[in-house]
Amino acid sequence: MLDPDPRIIGDKRLLGVVPGKPPIGDRKQPAEEDTVMVWPNLLVRHAVAALVVIVIVVLIAMFFDAPLREIANPTITPNPEKAPWYFAALQELLALFHPLVAGVLVPGAIIMGLVALPYIDRNPSLDPRKRQIARTAFTVFMVLWIALTLIGFMFRGENWSWVWPWEEWHGEL
Amino acid sequence: MSEMTRRSFLSTAWKVGFGLLAAAGVVTTFDLLKPHLAAGFDAIVRTVAPDAVPTTGVLEVRDARGYLVKVDDDVLAFSEVCTHLGCRVPYVDENGRFECPCHGSKFTREGDYIEGPAPRGMDEYATEVVDGVIEIDTTEVIAGPAPGSERT
Amino acid sequence: MKTSERIRKSTIGSSFFRSPDRVTERDRAAGHWSNFLLHLYPVRVRKVEITFKYTAFLGVASVVLFGILTVTGIFLMFFYVPSPTYAYGDIQTIQNEVAFGQFLRNMHRWAAHLMVLAVAAHLARVFYRGAYKPPKEFNWVIGVVLLVLTLLLSFTGYLLPWDQLAYWAVTVGTAMAAYVPIVGDLVQELMLGGPTVGSATLLRFYVLHVAVLPVALVGVLTVHIWRWRKDSMLTMDSDQGATDA
Repeated sequence: MLDPDPRIIGDKRLLGVVPGKPPIGDRKQPAEEDTVMVWPNLLVRHAVAALVVIVIVVLIAMFFDAPLREIANPTITPNPEKAPWYFAALQELLALFHPLVAGVLVPGAIIMGLVALPYIDRNPSLDPRKRQIARTAFTVFMVLWIALTLIGFMFRGENWSWVWPWEEWHGEL
Repeated sequence: MSEMTRRSFLSTAWKVGFGLLAAAGVVTTFDLLKPHLAAGFDAIVRTVAPDAVPTTGVLEVRDARGYLVKVDDDVLAFSEVCTHLGCRVPYVDENGRFECPCHGSKFTREGDYIEGPAPRGMDEYATEVVDGVIEIDTTEVIAGPAPGSERT
Repeated sequence: MKTSERIRKSTIGSSFFRSPDRVTERDRAAGHWSNFLLHLYPVRVRKVEITFKYTAFLGVASVVLFGILTVTGIFLMFFYVPSPTYAYGDIQTIQNEVAFGQFLRNMHRWAAHLMVLAVAAHLARVFYRGAYKPPKEFNWVIGVVLLVLTLLLSFTGYLLPWDQLAYWAVTVGTAMAAYVPIVGDLVQELMLGGPTVGSATLLRFYVLHVAVLPVALVGVLTVHIWRWRKDSMLTMDSDQGATDA
């Protein structure tokens, strides 16, 4: 098949053409003009993002003090007793369901569901119109979880009863 | 069993070796970290004479992390640790019952389940009267009665 | 010749940098081979990946917050003894007597909360742009592991001030583990190191918080970033022409 005469391309000699896949395999590579150099384009953006984050943390730390309650006392439970805010949704569920459900099955199912997501959702499309089921399911879950978190964090007062946050504030950070 | 070459034996052997080593590591770590403590607070707590236990309301015993309650002349010792998630359950005098601040579980003065997410009534400790004084045995927790049933 | 260039060309400088100052694209591409920090990045990325809309820079924000937490956490460690006798008093000392102590503790606390937020938001952003789809499935799984590690780090740190907030939140949190069928009681005992939250629990949480979990997180994070770099030049099937990312 090979041309009997060696081809000269530029100043290189073509010795042979080998069938097979490109080094990157089946993956499609973007065209050169769709890409940019990381240095400086991405590096400078990351540097700015890092600065913004640091400034935000410094500002918050300057104006708001971290809470410190009384020393731990095993004989007095504060009323209401609040979990850290990221577990507020779980605590809210714990007040509604048996602990095996709310404390073990639900968080277990959420973690396992997240881990399994890319293996359940095999739809290759990135077009939001073509993945409405996945987007809807995820959005419903997020909205529910955020609502439960806010309820547990702000809307629960003494004995875990309902309060309005603008009347009594019970959130703990 | 098919014939095993020297190569396949050695290649299996080092994998098994690492497997055993990992298993030994897990067991050792587990033994190292497992607390070797008896259940409860491992103590007999001497409290008061049976006559001193009130017939209404409860008497809190801080040392035992529990309450003494007199029900029909019998003295019961309850653990103040909520059967739900371990919060301390205070006795609310106005309502004449125990109310947990964490998740709103409620128990009667007799320690029976009323409502809330707790799986059972309040846990109990054995008591004994020695030399005219009630002693609470906190080494063993007696699980409270299931919801709907009453303690006997 | 500029000073920086002279340093680069000196005997010690050239052994350290191993290359001249990088001005051209070709030099800079070579930098990804010779610079340790730079080699975490790919040489080129798709244009869409540098836009705010695509990532909101939540991944890099999480890493920066972790960096802040490491630095402030090390400072706090110099003044903190993990024992019920000293812990609470040490926090008070940090706040009232150590120079910038209150500020450092504030930074650590707020950065921790923000990191949980940033990691969760990063997860949501990656979901909505579909970046977990083949062949990136496993990097999503690694990301979920990182989320769990972040939550565990935050939760173990929550006990350390040894105040009422900490004590009871951890009492409730560990009591939840006891409901796991069969192994629940054992798991709770291993976490607490005793029948209730006490000195053993504080020490266990401290060791997890300052040694075990951060090391685990850095290890897993390295793999996460490495896989991101490997996949950063992929064009996925319906990516062409899709303006939504």
